[in-house]
Amino acid sequence: MKIQINGRWYKAREGEMVLDVLRREGIEVPALCAHEAVEPYGACRLCMVEITHEDWGGWKGNVTSCLYPVEDKLIVQTHTEDVIELRKMVLNLLLARCPNTPEIQKLAEEYGIDITDFVPREDADDCIMCGLCTRVCTQMGFNAISVAGRGYDREVATPLKEAPPDCVGCLACVNICPTNHIKYQDVGTTREIWGRQFELVKCKECGKALITREFADYLIKNRDIPADYFDVCDDCKRAGTAKNFKKLVHWEEKEEAEEEVSV
Amino acid sequence: MTKRFMVRPALCIGCRTCELACSLTHQEGKTPGRTRIYPLAVGKEKWVPVACLQCDDPACVKSCLVDALRMNEELGYIELLQERCIKCRACVAACPFGCSLIDEEQEIIVKCDLCEGNPACARFCPTKALEYK
Repeated sequence: MKIQINGRWYKAREGEMVLDVLRREGIEVPALCAHEAVEPYGACRLCMVEITHEDWGGWKGNVTSCLYPVEDKLIVQTHTEDVIELRKMVLNLLLARCPNTPEIQKLAEEYGIDITDFVPREDADDCIMCGLCTRVCTQMGFNAISVAGRGYDREVATPLKEAPPDCVGCLACVNICPTNHIKYQDVGTTREIWGRQFELVKCKECGKALITREFADYLIKNRDIPADYFDVCDDCKRAGTAKNFKKLVHWEEKEEAEEEVSV
Repeated sequence: MTKRFMVRPALCIGCRTCELACSLTHQEGKTPGRTRIYPLAVGKEKWVPVACLQCDDPACVKSCLVDALRMNEELGYIELLQERCIKCRACVAACPFGCSLIDEEQEIIVKCDLCEGNPACARFCPTKALEYK
């Protein structure tokens, strides 16, 4: 299947979305709520593009490319006047919601918006309500956080706004957040996130910590990974691999090989 | 049959050419000390190049909860889909050989991908301690 983007034809695969093709071909379209680890959602509205088709009798429409499945001979325009105007409006609104967020400020500036036309939120934080954190948490099977409240009070929160019992402290939400809204703290071998404290698994040999005890236990129980795999860190495991190899290697091979080379 | 990445530690002289080749291929020559292949000294003039073994029953793939790691059947290596990775470090902690690594500088997870079928480390190894055939 082929689709036309900005006048050029590109290959597309059945079942993928227009944004997937745009990203694969390196065609710049802003998108804050799209991540390959989760299903498309259409929250940020920044990836709007214009679509049309030769069979549609001249009909054109503006759609979110992350949610629009490709079809053969689809014609896509990523930077028409209308589309840019739409993105400007979205950024204008986002800037009112998050006036102090560097990621939003930068993107808005790229579209020529320095100051929002709307009233900026007074108690502003960095959350743009894209839902990536809650979606990735669900995708990973924890469901520890969710969107709570309505309208102005809508926010990402833990159940009853208490320390979440299902969280394992994997930091998926922190790493996926496009605006660095979610904060955590690692002090020594203790991790604090969402108001809950986790103990990190310490390497038995060097003390380096990689993941939390709860996360390791989850992987052992649900993913069929032997418990002792988590006892030592990656550095010490590599050293262990080298030591195990040492036992297996017939070092006299070296002399034999040298003879081969000299012939 | 798919090709195999062969390691013959007895032939390794610890020259670290593999590290340099890996670094130049994957990270523009930066930090050759943090590459996907590690020649580790195990005694006097004895070295073992440690790299991902592309396991048949990989713990890294099992530990990935967002399916960012998968077996590339065609080329016989475990592929890390960087776009899908959410950097939870489960694979780093789970790999029993310690071959799923964190690139602290770029804040990403890195793993040997056999250069998608033509590993630079093996091509540049002067003593054929590393071979791909």
